[in-house]
Amino acid sequence: MEALNNLMYGFGIALQPMNIAYVFGGVFAGTIIGMLPGLGPISALALMIPITFAMEPSSGLILMAGVYYGAIFGGSSSSILLNAPGVAGTVATSFDGYPMAKQGMAGKALAIAAYASFVGGTISIVFLMMVAPMLSRVAVAFGPAEYFALMVLGLTAVVSLSDKSLVKGLIAAVVGIMISIIGIDLQTGTVRFAFGTTHLLDGIDFLVVALGVFALAEVFYMLLRGGGGKEPERNAIGSLRLSRREVKEIAGPIGRSSVLGFFTGVLPGAGSTIGSFLGYSMEKRIAKDGDTFGKGNIKGVAAPEAANNAACTGSFVPLLTLGVPGSGTTAVLLGALLVMGISPGPAMLVDRPDVFWGVIASMYIGNIMLLVLNLPLIPYIAKILEMPRPLLLSLILIFCMIGVYGMSFSVIDLLFLLGFGLMGLGMRLFGFPAAPLILALILGSIMEESMRRALQISGGDWMVFVDKPISMWLLIIAALSLLLPLVKKVMQRARS
Amino acid sequence: MTRLNTNQILALVIALFSVGYLVMAFQIRQFPLPRPIDSDLFPKVLGFTLLGLALLLFLEKPKAQDIPEEPSPEALNQPLLLRPWSRVVITSLAIIAYALLMVPIGFVVASTVLAFGLGWYYGYRRHGVNLATSLGVVLALYLTMTRIMEVYLPTGILPI
Repeated sequence: MEALNNLMYGFGIALQPMNIAYVFGGVFAGTIIGMLPGLGPISALALMIPITFAMEPSSGLILMAGVYYGAIFGGSSSSILLNAPGVAGTVATSFDGYPMAKQGMAGKALAIAAYASFVGGTISIVFLMMVAPMLSRVAVAFGPAEYFALMVLGLTAVVSLSDKSLVKGLIAAVVGIMISIIGIDLQTGTVRFAFGTTHLLDGIDFLVVALGVFALAEVFYMLLRGGGGKEPERNAIGSLRLSRREVKEIAGPIGRSSVLGFFTGVLPGAGSTIGSFLGYSMEKRIAKDGDTFGKGNIKGVAAPEAANNAACTGSFVPLLTLGVPGSGTTAVLLGALLVMGISPGPAMLVDRPDVFWGVIASMYIGNIMLLVLNLPLIPYIAKILEMPRPLLLSLILIFCMIGVYGMSFSVIDLLFLLGFGLMGLGMRLFGFPAAPLILALILGSIMEESMRRALQISGGDWMVFVDKPISMWLLIIAALSLLLPLVKKVMQRARS
Repeated sequence: MTRLNTNQILALVIALFSVGYLVMAFQIRQFPLPRPIDSDLFPKVLGFTLLGLALLLFLEKPKAQDIPEEPSPEALNQPLLLRPWSRVVITSLAIIAYALLMVPIGFVVASTVLAFGLGWYYGYRRHGVNLATSLGVVLALYLTMTRIMEVYLPTGILPI
């Protein structure tokens, strides 16, 4: 009952005309940006931060939530229409979505993606409403040692679950922490790694790094791979309608994948990519017509779409309740919140219920917007994909520039943006994952602060991290998350 | 002598960076009052961790995804200024020029020139459409930022 009252309170905020406009604007902009190959939710959110800067925090976060959902849906559209998944989370959608498009059923595939996303999102919001307040109550008992351990776990989980080299993931995370501690140490006033310039005293803004490492690096990568190269084959959209039999056929997969996706999303590091692949493979195994998966089976579109949207909502659980993001995308969201002066965590539910419940309510509204307004607009939005690549690349560059300059009014930051863009390109070329870097950048200084506070309380005794059971177990899980893949590799080698 | 592989070269660069980082970490000023943990400890831990990871990377065999793909022969046969790496270098130079000229000549002019110029350089030949799109997007962004969000952007040579 309490949750229902709170939700009604949230709807009161989210249904304010201005906030509805923000949700719609966010979903719409997110769909467009997410649709552009290479630009996923992280880039979309980073590009939106300067816009939310002057907004009321609840409105800003409502807009961001809309962008997030829209970008995931937009990514699915390019997966289905072009076989060019904008983000890893929609790769599984292309397995059956693109074959459907080639058979002239792109509209149907897009409609299934939208319905599945809607149901997946809605089911997972109900779970979020139930789980988040419970977890918040537990998290109140967390001290600095537990927070430090939790952040270590968040980082190691993101590194270990990435499909790239474990060592390279760890290197990216360490570099991210190194960037985060540049500037004045707030506890002692000591200046670290500022190279004698006043510009670095406040550190490097995370937006500069996020836009550089993701959006600008993507532009450079496209240039290297021949930006104006061969355009992918485009297919007619076709009808968006589903028959009753088709609806019946996808209902089960959507329900199962939604629940699976939510719990995958809650786990740090797992996120929508793993959620969507798990959903897809689970349905492929269960389905009687599993052999037609990969050839245009509608269940092969429904399952990953429901799972990835549910996972997106699930990833809000650690962010809103613990203040610790579990993925690169939620790390950017956390950065946006901090810019707006809000520190998510267990106290947020009490201190800023307007933000907490406003966001949850706006997720419902965002999902409805996605379905009711975005779906009919898809044939028109898809025209964006016909935009010539050279024009697109130059405009993305301008968006990055104005994003950075509008935030800091510093031309030096534009040069930093270029530096991080080149660094992101290098990381991409040599197989370094970017998500651990951005997550570490956000968590680094908070992690150091938690570690130092814990040590101050314990009088410098390092055993404080293992004396407390929660912190000890979190650190053990973190160590296991790194060691298990190594053990697995060694065993595989021994066998072969 | 055996040639170093990609990971080994990267490891050496990272090791060199971590040594430099450690040198700076050891120069961090001590806080006058005794504390259980000072400002220099965390950077030192990070520096040594990175050095250790560089060593592990040196021993790791590179996978296919760790080695950058060679550009296609088609791309390599293009004029020097249009080759893939030249595009990255020229775009970087354009960004530097933009950063230096934005305040004196103004946001609208600098951004329009950058967007139009890069669009043209990347191979878009419908100049009218390019100019209209670049100017339209830049003006829309400028007006949104300055009139709605009340963010100041340099006007430069333009009167408003």
